[in-house]
Amino acid sequence: MKAFAESVKDENLIARRRQRVKEQISAWVLLAPFIIILLLFAVLPFVMGFVYVFLRYDPYNVSSTQFYGLKNFEMLFNSNISMSQSFWESFGPVTVYALCTFPIGTIISFILAYFINMCPPGYKFFRACIYLPSLVSISIAGIIFCNFFGPAGSGLINSLLGTDIDWLGGKPFQDDFLRWVIILLLCIWSGVGGNFVIYSGVLRDIPKSLYEACEMDGGGRWRKILHVTLPAMKSTLSLTMFGTVVGMLSLYGQPYVLNTIENQDILVSPMMWIQKYLMGGLTYAKLTGFICSAALVLGLISAVLGFLQRKAMADRPRGDKYSVAYARFAELKAQSLKLKEEVSE
Amino acid sequence: MKTVQKKRLTKSQITARNEKIVSFIVLAFASLLFIFPLIYMLGTSFKSDLDLQMHPEKIFPTPGQWTLKHYAGFFINSEGQLDNMPKWMFNSLWSTSVTVILTVLIDLVVAYVVVFLRWKGKKVFMKALFAWMAAPTVIATAPGLVIFQTVKSTLGISSPAATYALVYFWLTIPGIVGVFNVILMHNFFKTIPVEIIESAKSDGASHFTIFRKIVCPLAKSTMLVIVLFTFAASWNNLQGPQLLMAGEGQYIQTITVALAESYGGSSAWGAQGVSMATAVFSLIPVLIIFLFTQNKMIEGLASTGVKG
Repeated sequence: MKAFAESVKDENLIARRRQRVKEQISAWVLLAPFIIILLLFAVLPFVMGFVYVFLRYDPYNVSSTQFYGLKNFEMLFNSNISMSQSFWESFGPVTVYALCTFPIGTIISFILAYFINMCPPGYKFFRACIYLPSLVSISIAGIIFCNFFGPAGSGLINSLLGTDIDWLGGKPFQDDFLRWVIILLLCIWSGVGGNFVIYSGVLRDIPKSLYEACEMDGGGRWRKILHVTLPAMKSTLSLTMFGTVVGMLSLYGQPYVLNTIENQDILVSPMMWIQKYLMGGLTYAKLTGFICSAALVLGLISAVLGFLQRKAMADRPRGDKYSVAYARFAELKAQSLKLKEEVSE
Repeated sequence: MKTVQKKRLTKSQITARNEKIVSFIVLAFASLLFIFPLIYMLGTSFKSDLDLQMHPEKIFPTPGQWTLKHYAGFFINSEGQLDNMPKWMFNSLWSTSVTVILTVLIDLVVAYVVVFLRWKGKKVFMKALFAWMAAPTVIATAPGLVIFQTVKSTLGISSPAATYALVYFWLTIPGIVGVFNVILMHNFFKTIPVEIIESAKSDGASHFTIFRKIVCPLAKSTMLVIVLFTFAASWNNLQGPQLLMAGEGQYIQTITVALAESYGGSSAWGAQGVSMATAVFSLIPVLIIFLFTQNKMIEGLASTGVKG
């Protein structure tokens, strides 16, 4: 009887082990398509990005590949070559611009989220209206904004104001201030929606008791925002800002669609530079390694900036705990106040 | 005591009411600003040539001057041939649909395997995914195109049909492995109580049955979020397709690329109506998806931020 029981147990064990092996195999089989595609189309180019920079590589004539060492980088950092010079120059406007857009965009989406969280009548409709531009493609946005800021004969703004301002003109670094303002407007119009919705979700999930606790301590609206709302939103803010920083450095679509016929070829962002020479086909095919090295530099810069931003805004253990402890303290205080009142009655 | 409480209540009620009024005004104003460009686009697309020339400041055409002329040129052009517009629309529609369907499918499977199957290396896999999400993908854009060109030239592809096939393969397939979506789905699956799965298992349900009958129906709202995100991202993708399609004919372009290249910049007033009409037309699919998924997707997007 005992032996029988043991053999059953053994069989059970074997069956379970077999089951586990089966599960293991089926897991990898099911994951295989995802992993293979990810490796081939995302990880491989990423890795090759570190390989091509050391080569003189021509995709149309693979046999001519040569080892170049650091020559590509030497070219990139040599300001006498006009291509390298324009690459480095393109960082200037983007940096200034990122420094402007970054706070403005974040503040606007935060304010809108703050107001939507008060749930006025029809807030779902407003939310949809504000989010909708984020879904509009950059090409459409470009067409609309070019019509808004077109010359006097066809532009909406010029004919409304009765002026003839050349909004979109100007060569880079020379009186193209208005152009940047419009790129900024375009970015805000199409970029605020996503962060706004995310922020409103976070705001909605902040427990009411925290606000009540703050109110008990005589905190007004501003103190509530400063001591309850912002600390609770910190990790989300940090995450969305990370996305914004990386997105800003790879700014491409907005300036591209706003380029008019006269200044079609101006390159105002590093991404436009890369895109232009990559799209050059055979003309720039021999410079592939050089272009890849520029892309690598851009990628590393954005990685470092993103890392610094995350580090600077990292959740220090104090922040969250403090507000929680504060809330508990305030709750206790409120309870004791209530008790006192009851006793006095 | 009672009077104090009453007073306090009315005071907070007053603040609540004031808050609602202020926020209503602010939001109504903001919504108007945000939606105005789209309304202007719609209005301009119906303007007659005279209106375009004389009244760019009007949002809608002069009454009685509405025209569908700019839309009419889409399908048959002035030379009586099939216009490029339907081709672009078709290219965008099919490639986007394929991307969306495959993305949802692959996300469901991967998330299910990670959450509900027992296998070794799960933690490493998830860590790798998170690490990959932080990687600067800018580095991969240039080499990605170089690999594409190398493949194209080694395979000796030059005919339009073969180029079309290769370009669209390269557009749709890499698009389906967005790590963010996988993590979104994974986070949702984590919230499904394990007891449901266990009880189904003890009733003798296979993993496939559990996947199809329990998990997929539960994941509907997350699926909708992913559908909208992927649809919008793929439909609006400009940079990637532009690289792949550089130097090819117009037949190969998606609507977004075509809009940016053919109608971008400040076009002459004659093309204004047509470009606006094309823009309206190309917005319709995204708009439809948005209207259907709107509330669920905004809720879903809102919850992504909470989890980080």
